[in-house]
Amino acid sequence: MVSHVLTLFSLALSQMASATDSRYGQKESSDQNFDYMFKILIIGNSSVGKTSFLFRYADDSFTPAFVSTVGIDFKVKTIYRNDKRIKLQIWDTAGQERYRTITTAYYRGAMGFILMYDITNEESFNAVQDWSTQIKTYSWDNAQVLLVGNKCDMEDERVVASERGRQLSEHLGFEFFEASAKDNINVKQTFERLVDIICEKMSESLDAADPAVTGAKQGPQLTEQPAAPHQDCAC
Amino acid sequence: MDLSLLKALEREKVLEVLHRDKILRSMEEDRIRRLKVELQDLRRRGAKSISRQYGERTCARCQKPLGRFWNTGAVCLGCSHRICGRCRVFLTRRFWRCTVCHAYREVKVKSGEWFLEERGKKFPHETAQHETIGEKLLKSHQRLGNISIVPPTPPPFQDVAKLSFSRSGNFTSSPLTKSMEDLVMSFNSHIRRISKSQSDLRADLLTVNYDRTISMSKSQSDTAISTAFILNKGPSLSNIFKKFKEWEQQTSKSLSSGALTDRDTSLSSGETRGSNSSIETDADSSGNPSVTGEIEIALAYSFNTSCLEILISACKNIMFGGFKQRKCHPYVKVYLLPDKSSGSKLKTTTKKNTTDPVFKETLQYSVERHLLASRTLHVSVWHSETLKRKFFIGEVLIPLEGWRFEDSSTKSPAWYPLQPKSDGGAVDQVVGLLLVKVKFSNPKHTSDSCSVSHEAGQLTVLVTGVQNMTGSKSGAAFVKGSLTLPGGQILSQRSPVVKKKSNLKWALQLVFSKVTLHELKESVLHLDLWDQATFSLSERLLGTARLQGAPSWQALQQMPSVWHSFSLALCTSINTRKP
Repeated sequence: MVSHVLTLFSLALSQMASATDSRYGQKESSDQNFDYMFKILIIGNSSVGKTSFLFRYADDSFTPAFVSTVGIDFKVKTIYRNDKRIKLQIWDTAGQERYRTITTAYYRGAMGFILMYDITNEESFNAVQDWSTQIKTYSWDNAQVLLVGNKCDMEDERVVASERGRQLSEHLGFEFFEASAKDNINVKQTFERLVDIICEKMSESLDAADPAVTGAKQGPQLTEQPAAPHQDCAC
Repeated sequence: MDLSLLKALEREKVLEVLHRDKILRSMEEDRIRRLKVELQDLRRRGAKSISRQYGERTCARCQKPLGRFWNTGAVCLGCSHRICGRCRVFLTRRFWRCTVCHAYREVKVKSGEWFLEERGKKFPHETAQHETIGEKLLKSHQRLGNISIVPPTPPPFQDVAKLSFSRSGNFTSSPLTKSMEDLVMSFNSHIRRISKSQSDLRADLLTVNYDRTISMSKSQSDTAISTAFILNKGPSLSNIFKKFKEWEQQTSKSLSSGALTDRDTSLSSGETRGSNSSIETDADSSGNPSVTGEIEIALAYSFNTSCLEILISACKNIMFGGFKQRKCHPYVKVYLLPDKSSGSKLKTTTKKNTTDPVFKETLQYSVERHLLASRTLHVSVWHSETLKRKFFIGEVLIPLEGWRFEDSSTKSPAWYPLQPKSDGGAVDQVVGLLLVKVKFSNPKHTSDSCSVSHEAGQLTVLVTGVQNMTGSKSGAAFVKGSLTLPGGQILSQRSPVVKKKSNLKWALQLVFSKVTLHELKESVLHLDLWDQATFSLSERLLGTARLQGAPSWQALQQMPSVWHSFSLALCTSINTRKP
C-alpha cells in the first residue's frame, strides 16, 4: 500500500517535472504496416535541442521550455521513402554526462546518428569531435552520421559560423545540415537524408554478400558456370 | 551497467521507456518471425531436397522440366541452381536471381539482418548485445526490488493542457501495467511447466540451445537468419530459468525448515494413493534409457456400456536391464491420465519367462465419451520380480484427443514402439522426509563464534531416519553425502549400509573435515538416500535432500558444537546428477 502511494506521488512529481515526456506516443509504435525498421540515435551536448528536434519531426510540435531528458527516450515514426514504408525508432538521448553509461549502450543498436550542436553555443560545437569518437567506439563501422547545427533561427546569437560546421563535417566525413526545430527548418530533410544514406549502406552491404551482384560485376562469371555454391542460400 | 546510480524517479522514467521499447521489440520479433516463416515456406515448396530426384533438367524452383534446346534454364548466381525463365527476378535488365534467393535478400532487408551481420564484423562476440540491453536494465531493476514499476504514459495528445487530466485518470488500466502482469503470469506458468518436468535437465538443454544459436548466428549462413528469432528470445528464457533456480532454492529452504509448500504436499499425497511399488523403481529406469520392443494395443469405445475398452494384445522384443533376458516376467499397467490414482490403474496378468508375451486381455474404463478427449492413455510394461520388486521396461502414451472411436477402422490393433520414461511422468516428487542432525565442531573448543568462523573445523552429519517414506519398506539403505564448497570443491562421504525399517532409528554418520563456518554459509549439502536391494547388488537413488542457505547454516554458526536437527525433504529427480 505504501509503495503504491509512493508511486502515485512520484508519478505526480514526474508529471510536474516534465509535461512533455508523456507525448511519446504508442499509436505509431503499434502500426505494423511497414517494410522495415531503422534505428536512429540523436546525440549531442545537453540543451542543444535534441528532444525538440525529435518532437518537431515526429509530432510537428515545439515547446520553448527546456526539460532535460532523463537517460533515454524514443519515438516512432513511419515514413514513405524510396517506395518503401520505413518505420523509424528514433532514440533521444540525454546530453548530460551522468547518463553516459545508459546512452552509450544504445549506440550499438543504431544504424544512423544525428550528431547535434547548438550554433549559439561554442562549447557544444567543440564537443562534436568527442561525440564522433564515441560513435566510432561504440557503433558499427559503417555508422551513418549527420552533423546538425540546430537553432539556426537564432541568427543574432550565432557563435558558430556555418562554414566552420561544414568544414568540421567534411573533416569527419559526415553530411551537414543547419536546422531549426523551432522554425521547422531542415528537420524533415535531415531525417530523410539520414534514411537515404542508411538505405545506400544497406544496399552496399547486401550486394557485397550477394554473388549474383559481385559475380555480375566481375563479368566473365556471368555464364552458366558460377563459382562454388554460395552458402548464403542453401536452396 | 545498472540503474542504481540514478535516483528513484529517474529510474522509473527510464524503466518506462525500456518497457515501451520491449513491447516494440516483441512486435518486431513477431513480424520478423512471420517473414521467416514465409521464406521457409517458399523454400520448401521449391527446394530441391534429398527426397526429390535431383534432375539437372528441371527448374530448381518450379520443378518443371527444362528443354535441351530452348527454355534450357540458367544457373542462378545466388544458389547455383538451374532456374527456368519464369522463376527469375530481374534486378536490372541483365542480372537476376531466382525467386528464393530474391526472397532471402528481401528478408535480410526487412528483418534488419543485414545490419546485424555488418555489426557482427565489428563486435563478433556480442551479436545480441543490443537486444539484451533493455533486458539487463529491467533485470537490474528487479534486483533492486524496492521500486514499483511506474505506470506508463497514455497515448499522445497534442494538447498539453489536457494531458495531465487524462494521465491521472488513465494509468491504472493502461496497457503497460497489464503487459507487466502478463509478463509475471507467463513467468509463473513457465515455472509451473518446468517444475512438472525434470526441471534442471530441461533448463540445461535450453541454455545449451541458446549458446548454440549464438555461434550459429556468427556464421553468416542461411540458418542464422531463421534462428535469429530464437536468439532474441534466448536471454529472456535463460532469465526465467535463472529465476526458477532461485525460486527452487527458496522452496527447498522452506522445505528444510519442515514446512511443505502446497505443491509438494499435493504431489506426495497423490503418490501415496498410487502404486507404491512402481514408484520405487522410477529411479531405476532413469538410469537405464535403453528401451526396445513394441506393444500391440487396440482401442475401442462401447457406446452401449460407455466403456473404453483397451485390448492389450501382445508385446514383442522387450528388454530389461539392457539385456534380452529369459528371466523376464512382464505385465502391462494402464493409467487413464491425468488421473494417476490407484482408481485409474489397471493391470494385466504377469507372463513368465518371455520377452514376447501374449496377453490378449481387455481392460475397461467406464467413462463418458466426451470426457475422453482430454485424457491420455498411459500404457507401461513392467518386469515383475520376486519379492514384489518391479522394473520399468517401457511405456507408450496415447493421447485420446481426436481419436475417432466412431470409426470402426480405429478398432484394429496397432503396434506402438515402447519409449523410455517420459519427462512428464517423472515429476519432481517429495517422497519423504530425511531426519538429520548436524553439528559443527571446532578442535580448539573456542566458544567465541566470531573467531570460529574462519577456523577449520569438522561438520558431522548424522542421518537418524526417514519419515513418511513412500516406497519400499524393506531392504537396506545408505546415504551418500556431498558438500559443495563455495569454490566448487566437493567433499563426498558415504555412510555404511543400514537395514531400512521405517521405525528404526538410524545413526548414519558422515564427517566432513577441514571446513570453516565461513565457507559453510555458502555451501550446499546434498544427501542422497540410496537403496540397496536385498538380492542384488544394484543400488537405486530413493531421493535427494538438500541443506543450504544462510538460515540453515546460521544456526550452526550461532551454536557450534551442538547438534541441530533438520527434517529435509527427500525429492526424486531434483536434478540430473548421476549415481
